[in-house]
Amino acid sequence: MTIRRPGWILVLPATLAVALFLGIPVLDTFSTTVTDSTGLFSNYEKFFDSRFRRAVLWRTTEIALITTIASLLIGFVTAYVVSRAPGRIKSILIIAAVFPLLTGVVVRSFAWLVILGKNGILNDFLLAVGIVAEPLSMLYTEGAVIVAMVYLFVPLMILTIVGVLEGIPEDLLQASASLGATPVATFWQVVFPLAMPGLIVGAVLVFTGSFTSYATPQLLGGEQQMMMGTFLHQRAMVTFDWTGASTIAVIMTVVTILIVLAMGRLARRLNPAAV
Amino acid sequence: MMMRTRPHPALTAFAALVFFFLMAPLVIIIGASLSDTSFLTFPPQGLTLHWYENIFEVSAFKRTMVTSATLALVGTSLSLLVGIPAAYALNRYRVQLPSFLSTVFVLPILVPELVLGFSIMKSVTTGLDFPIFASLVIGHALLVLPYCVRVVSASLSSFDFSIEEAAVSLGCPRWRAFFTIVLPNVRAGVIAAFILALITSINDVSISLFLTGPGISTLPIQLLAHMEQFFDPTIASVSVLLMLVTVGVMAVVELTLGLTFLTK
Amino acid sequence: MTVSLTLSGITAHYGTTKVLEDLSLQVEEGELVSLLGASGCGKTTTLRLVAGFLQPTAGSIHLGGRDLTRLPAHTRDIGLVFQNYALFPHLTIRDNVAFGLKQRGMGSAARAKQANAMLERVGLEALADRTPDALSGGQKQRVALARALVIDPPLLMFDEPLSNLDAKLRVEMRVEIRRLQRDNGRTALYVTHDQEEAFSISDRVAIMNAGRILQLDAPEVLYSRPADAFVANFVGFENIIPLRANGEQDSAIRAEMAGGAILALPRERYEPPAQDFLFATRADGLMVARSGEGIPAKLGLRTYLGRAYQYRCETAAGEIIANGPLSDPLEPGTDAVLIPQHDQCTVLPADS
Repeated sequence: MTIRRPGWILVLPATLAVALFLGIPVLDTFSTTVTDSTGLFSNYEKFFDSRFRRAVLWRTTEIALITTIASLLIGFVTAYVVSRAPGRIKSILIIAAVFPLLTGVVVRSFAWLVILGKNGILNDFLLAVGIVAEPLSMLYTEGAVIVAMVYLFVPLMILTIVGVLEGIPEDLLQASASLGATPVATFWQVVFPLAMPGLIVGAVLVFTGSFTSYATPQLLGGEQQMMMGTFLHQRAMVTFDWTGASTIAVIMTVVTILIVLAMGRLARRLNPAAV
Repeated sequence: MMMRTRPHPALTAFAALVFFFLMAPLVIIIGASLSDTSFLTFPPQGLTLHWYENIFEVSAFKRTMVTSATLALVGTSLSLLVGIPAAYALNRYRVQLPSFLSTVFVLPILVPELVLGFSIMKSVTTGLDFPIFASLVIGHALLVLPYCVRVVSASLSSFDFSIEEAAVSLGCPRWRAFFTIVLPNVRAGVIAAFILALITSINDVSISLFLTGPGISTLPIQLLAHMEQFFDPTIASVSVLLMLVTVGVMAVVELTLGLTFLTK
Repeated sequence: MTVSLTLSGITAHYGTTKVLEDLSLQVEEGELVSLLGASGCGKTTTLRLVAGFLQPTAGSIHLGGRDLTRLPAHTRDIGLVFQNYALFPHLTIRDNVAFGLKQRGMGSAARAKQANAMLERVGLEALADRTPDALSGGQKQRVALARALVIDPPLLMFDEPLSNLDAKLRVEMRVEIRRLQRDNGRTALYVTHDQEEAFSISDRVAIMNAGRILQLDAPEVLYSRPADAFVANFVGFENIIPLRANGEQDSAIRAEMAGGAILALPRERYEPPAQDFLFATRADGLMVARSGEGIPAKLGLRTYLGRAYQYRCETAAGEIIANGPLSDPLEPGTDAVLIPQHDQCTVLPADS
């Protein structure tokens, strides 16, 4: 027997697995929201009619946006310093960024539970120094969720941007200097535009990651700071409202895909050569 | 003597602060896990390894650790089993295969993990009445498939397929050429893919969240549940154990592809 | 404004490795000097020192009256053309060329006008709105050239600018580089490992090895009168034969080579530096003949060069490479003599 299309045979198992166990279930989730309803979009109308649900969506978007912007700023400056560091120090710093990234979300969120709790380290410190008289309740606030999320995503941002900065040839920076550009001018006119695609990739990863996170809002936000992820879990596993849960799932997926597509377009527009 | 433009001292100081911010919480967990108190505190008061012993006395931790490890090994192996041929085909038969295929294998990244977990729970666990562990394996295999395909692809993309053709021209059957010529040359990529997939699976919350059920849970899910009820240093010691796994993973990645691979 | 470039007593290190040692070099106003040598000889280091990307551990660099030694790179005002072009991938061709003008604070209309004019000079005005990835290697090199020229720098520097181009384009581009440099009359420093390129383009060539300049001369002088065995070997002298002078006869120096053969070197052409010296010649400088006055040899492998036959010859002093006329092919094993063509031979000091 001759196999005329060996390529197809080799990709078939993986393609089937994705189609059967991802494609069909996710499509089913999508179709549930339109079939199991009174009108085609009535589940979505219901979602957007509810003040509480709108608030969850808005809070999620707000936290994801703030997390993304903070991670971008912190990540870019840090990545710039890392990429300029001498070889040995650079490897140590990269290890220091990879380690938290590979440590689980639960463990890293837990750390902030220990720090921000009523009897936590930060309160101990503030009381000891005498800045506050009573322990502050910092848990279950939007701020707690944002701090932990930034903590979660900064390593990802650093590594992504270091990758792009390292990819900028030294020659271009030298060419810029030889043409009379000051280090600051070189940064803004050469480094920054060339790093743009990396910033966009990092922003997409952080936004979609924080928009769809579960463990961090669950531990540090609780019921008070419900986000789309925790809301989805509550609908599906506590109230067993699968249609409502599916509606949340579809909104999450659509936002994720739209962000990925939009930012991808933006990246190509800004810098057709570097993508 | 190289004239590298040094970043402004203020930027360097800021970066140092960021790394402190990244490391401090982890150091706090390590400290808290050693504290001779029944509640979590830092700096530790008195030193004890009691909380590490306690991990193995809490049966839920013992059980879920075994589940998580088994699940990671089975899920990752399955994923590599279908992922390696796919990565090979995508590189070797690039011209022959339509370009959308390479997108198929990153789909699990585009679909939020929570949505994937929820959908599998709905359609597979409930809809097809799959056993809980089987559903978990499916979810985790899908979760790590993009890593497997991407990392193996990355090392295949620098593989010179004319070596394989040379072997075939010397009389080696194609299937044997794959195992004796191609695989040994991308070994580093396969090992790195395996180990990265393993840690991703072990740390996963979002997919397992919907797929664990009565009697079967994974370590992170168990940890989450435990945290919401208890606040003793056992959680910290489990976390430290997980960090040690991370150290092991990093060592393997460094030895195979080098950690700088993760910046690409 | 045409100025000269002066490097005096430059020493440079990479870490603890010394890469340049007490190097001095003067490039005169409007002159094009090439640094020629194998990789690792220090030629690129020299250029990077002048550009300000490296700092010397000792010595000074002057451009005209200006001391560049401690100036940061962006204040040196040098037009630099890179080996891999180093065009900014995110800018159009026009913006690439205008980049240096922008740094000099020129308004956007004025710099677009000047960049367009420059692009016209290198024949790329039609591509001004493209980005570099749409250009061929030769076109990229023209843009790099335009970008360096448009800022009208007192010094132009080229770092192996043609090594990524194919052979035909290399010849075309080096003529163009020479033309543009001549036209604007600027002093230029050119780094290459390609001897033909260096000789064809330069007023003078500095041959470098191990962080030092061995000889700095006009290409014609280097080609026919290398200063030592290294340079001779580098410029293609295949045969370097140790000789010992032992007397004079008929206004010729009698010199003996290993194995006893005697060469008569006319006094008016040769001035041996010592009693022991080296006799250097290319294969063309030794004519293979059936008989005559020269080095006795047994012919070995014969290859066809198009303009001559080349022979590997066994002599008492070792293997020598010599050419013979197309009209008289000789078989391997033949006994022959190798007759020195004195206008193509030279003498060198013995290795110190």
